[in-house]
Amino acid sequence: MAETTAQQTVEIGYGGTERLVMNMGPQHPSAHGVFRAILTLEGETVVAVDAVIGYLHRCHEKLAENLTYVQYPSIASKTDYVSAMTAELAYVAAVEKVGKIDVPKRAQQLRVLVAELQRIASHCLWLGTWCMDMGGALGGGATIFLYAIRERELVLDLFESLTGARLLYGFHQVGGVRYDVPAGWAERCRQTIDLIGRRVDEYEAMLEDNPFFLVRTQGVGVISRELAQDVGVCGPLIRGSGIPYDVRRTEPYSSYQDFDFKVPVETAGDCFARYRVRMVEFRESIKIVRQALDGLAEGPISSRPGVKSVGQVRIPKGEGYTRIEGARGEVGCYLVADGGAKPYRLKWRGASFSNLAVLPYIIPGHKIADVVAIMGSVDPVFGEVDR
Amino acid sequence: MSPLVYHALVGFVVLNAVIGMVTYVTLLERKFAARMQSRIGPYYVGWPHGWLQPIADALKLMMKEDIVPRAADRWVYNLAPLAFLVPCILVFATIPFAPGLGVADLNIGVLFFLAVSALEIVGLFMGGWGSNNKYALLSAMRAVNQIISYDLPFIFAALVPVVLAGSLQLSVIVEAQRAMYGAFVFYPVLGQLAFVAFLVATLAAENRVPFDILEAESELVAGFRVEYSGMKFALIQLGEYAHMIATSFLGALLFLGGWLGPGPAWMGPVWFLLKAVVVFLVVTWVRWSFVRIRVDQILAISWKLLLPATLVLLMATALVVALRSTGGA
Amino acid sequence: MARKGASFLGETWQLIGAVGRAMGMTFRNFFRRPVTLQYPTVKRVYPDRFRGILALTYDHDTGEENCIGCRLCEFICPPQVIKVEMLKAEKRNWAKTFTLELYSCEFCELCVQVCPTDAIIMLKTFDLATADRREMLLDKDRLHALGLEHPASWATGNRLRDMQAPPKAVKTEAKVEAGGKAEAKEPAE
Repeated sequence: MAETTAQQTVEIGYGGTERLVMNMGPQHPSAHGVFRAILTLEGETVVAVDAVIGYLHRCHEKLAENLTYVQYPSIASKTDYVSAMTAELAYVAAVEKVGKIDVPKRAQQLRVLVAELQRIASHCLWLGTWCMDMGGALGGGATIFLYAIRERELVLDLFESLTGARLLYGFHQVGGVRYDVPAGWAERCRQTIDLIGRRVDEYEAMLEDNPFFLVRTQGVGVISRELAQDVGVCGPLIRGSGIPYDVRRTEPYSSYQDFDFKVPVETAGDCFARYRVRMVEFRESIKIVRQALDGLAEGPISSRPGVKSVGQVRIPKGEGYTRIEGARGEVGCYLVADGGAKPYRLKWRGASFSNLAVLPYIIPGHKIADVVAIMGSVDPVFGEVDR
Repeated sequence: MSPLVYHALVGFVVLNAVIGMVTYVTLLERKFAARMQSRIGPYYVGWPHGWLQPIADALKLMMKEDIVPRAADRWVYNLAPLAFLVPCILVFATIPFAPGLGVADLNIGVLFFLAVSALEIVGLFMGGWGSNNKYALLSAMRAVNQIISYDLPFIFAALVPVVLAGSLQLSVIVEAQRAMYGAFVFYPVLGQLAFVAFLVATLAAENRVPFDILEAESELVAGFRVEYSGMKFALIQLGEYAHMIATSFLGALLFLGGWLGPGPAWMGPVWFLLKAVVVFLVVTWVRWSFVRIRVDQILAISWKLLLPATLVLLMATALVVALRSTGGA
Repeated sequence: MARKGASFLGETWQLIGAVGRAMGMTFRNFFRRPVTLQYPTVKRVYPDRFRGILALTYDHDTGEENCIGCRLCEFICPPQVIKVEMLKAEKRNWAKTFTLELYSCEFCELCVQVCPTDAIIMLKTFDLATADRREMLLDKDRLHALGLEHPASWATGNRLRDMQAPPKAVKTEAKVEAGGKAEAKEPAE
């Protein structure tokens, strides 16, 4: 296990050979899921990180070979369960690309609407858990956690009125979406995102100038531009290192080209830069939601409506890869279809899986307390990592 | 009755009162924190509002299984909670609740308080070492670093009222505050700065966020307490919160005027308790508002900022007092 | 500590400001109403489309069981928790046995969506906690009983399919009952 080429040992001139191998085990209050990091410590400084994943492997890709295109979207939401809408979208977008299925305009805009709302909810969770990791479950971190979860609950209430479920929706289907917007929902959505916009201002007031927060995050976990490109991180990590890569801009999908939004980029590459990127993404998502609500087109919500049988959707032979911008980065889905109702092969590209690869490069040299700050700013969800 | 019996009785009463206060202060903190976090806190046990929650917690801890890790250093491990608790409770001996109402109003009260409260670090380190657990050991090492670094600013900040009053005896210090509108915190500049420094040093000496790196739940799970369960854990919790309110009492006595306040003489202890609760709530308020900072940053704050600042403050106070007594007002 | 090039006093002032802002935020929150809902004394209002536990329905007019045992729900269920046996008869078919393993159910609502007769629906309750998992293996009688006990959620097979269908295919009664469209959909012609 120690022979991975990704390990890097930083010699810090400590002098001594007193090294302690500590396990930040799969069960840990701040492991963000099930993640094992074997840290080699010299005193308080981490000199090597050996990351062990796979504790949440649930055979998604094999499952997909046994479930039809109609059944799998509700399972797909369980890969990135914190940001379920984008996960489902990756799968159905891949199916539609391989099967050359059109998606009606209204469905595309609804997909954008829920994806951005989901991004807001996911970033709320990110902020809360990150501050909780840095501030303690019995401390100021928990305060921000509870505030962020309070706001996330509002978005989840919206989703509950829309689909009936709060976390794992089954909202997408091949050809469109399953649910349409109920009466009064648009108004409530506007009020909710106005409220969330104000609350995000409050969080920034609590954190932005706070020297305690700044000393924990500035200069910590710096991902240089070259490292970001070499290792292949995505999402807020790469945008925090100065590369303006956002799939919604480079390869617009699902009518994103019609929306006006900014892609935040920071150059510092440390935890604070990634925090700034995500805070701006909050605001931009709110903007996109408003645009989507204002410009919602009339029309059907699915081009393959009314699923009546399990094998209803058959995709001819072909293969294709789609990528979408999930809350954590680029989520990709590679599908090989063989003409039947089930895929021949499905490959998930999890955003967090690629993002975690950067840990052995940026953690050594920092203290233990920085490990949790860095992990929080990477924001992994292990459903995506282990699938 | 003989003085020995009398003092033993008084000590016993105060001890029980302190333990009762400590348990209910946990409830106060939980409700206060809950309201700041948009939630309710303990509610159902002792419905409404969880009045029996601390009793339930205490009973639960008493009934839990006492686990001693096989590879732990038995004597060190078992004695650590006691070594931690005893100094924390012992400091209550010097605290007067009203003129003449206290276990022992020593003429070196402040010195005794500061010296004995620093002994808890021994118990803390014993707990961390004896647990035979890397997390606990790391926490104990950080604790030694932190508490030693912050004891000095704590002492200097606490010495400012001592210099202003001219005595180490706590009741004399309180009486001396009568001249200063009832509280040394009203002393121009020096009083406020010293109070702020005292609060910051209290936060650090109590291992409270933002200085709670040694029990950082999200990194070290529970710090030096991680291997303790049952009654030993209860003793450690008791010691922590006892120390917490002991320093709140000290803050109230030194800076906020103790039992001074409008009203009849019997209102004295009530004012005192209120002021101590105010200090406690301010510390709690800070605790629930900030993220914690790293241990090297904590040490940097102490040695590079707080220690020089409190030293300068103390010397300035001494200068002011000297000038006052020779010439001036 | 934070901003580059700031003086000691500037930094101290910034520290005081930041501390004050953060503590002020928590203080303001002290006076906001808690968002806690004291379940189970207080239950929140579940939205119309809430996906709760499943149930079988009877026909509104005739009172007969709606389920015709077609097994479409069994085939579409991703975790395969539904098992149905059909009972053939002259006028229509019935379900001889219908078991649903609620402990493995995903609550994805696909079975509701495919049902041609609106037989299986979801309810606006989720509270079926038991100490014995066998009580969550719902058989046909239990499913029918649940359907009578609790309020039903809005979604039925026909309504869901109509919502997804293009506007000109919308049935008139579904449009009136649905309440599930934000903008009024005019028929295409």
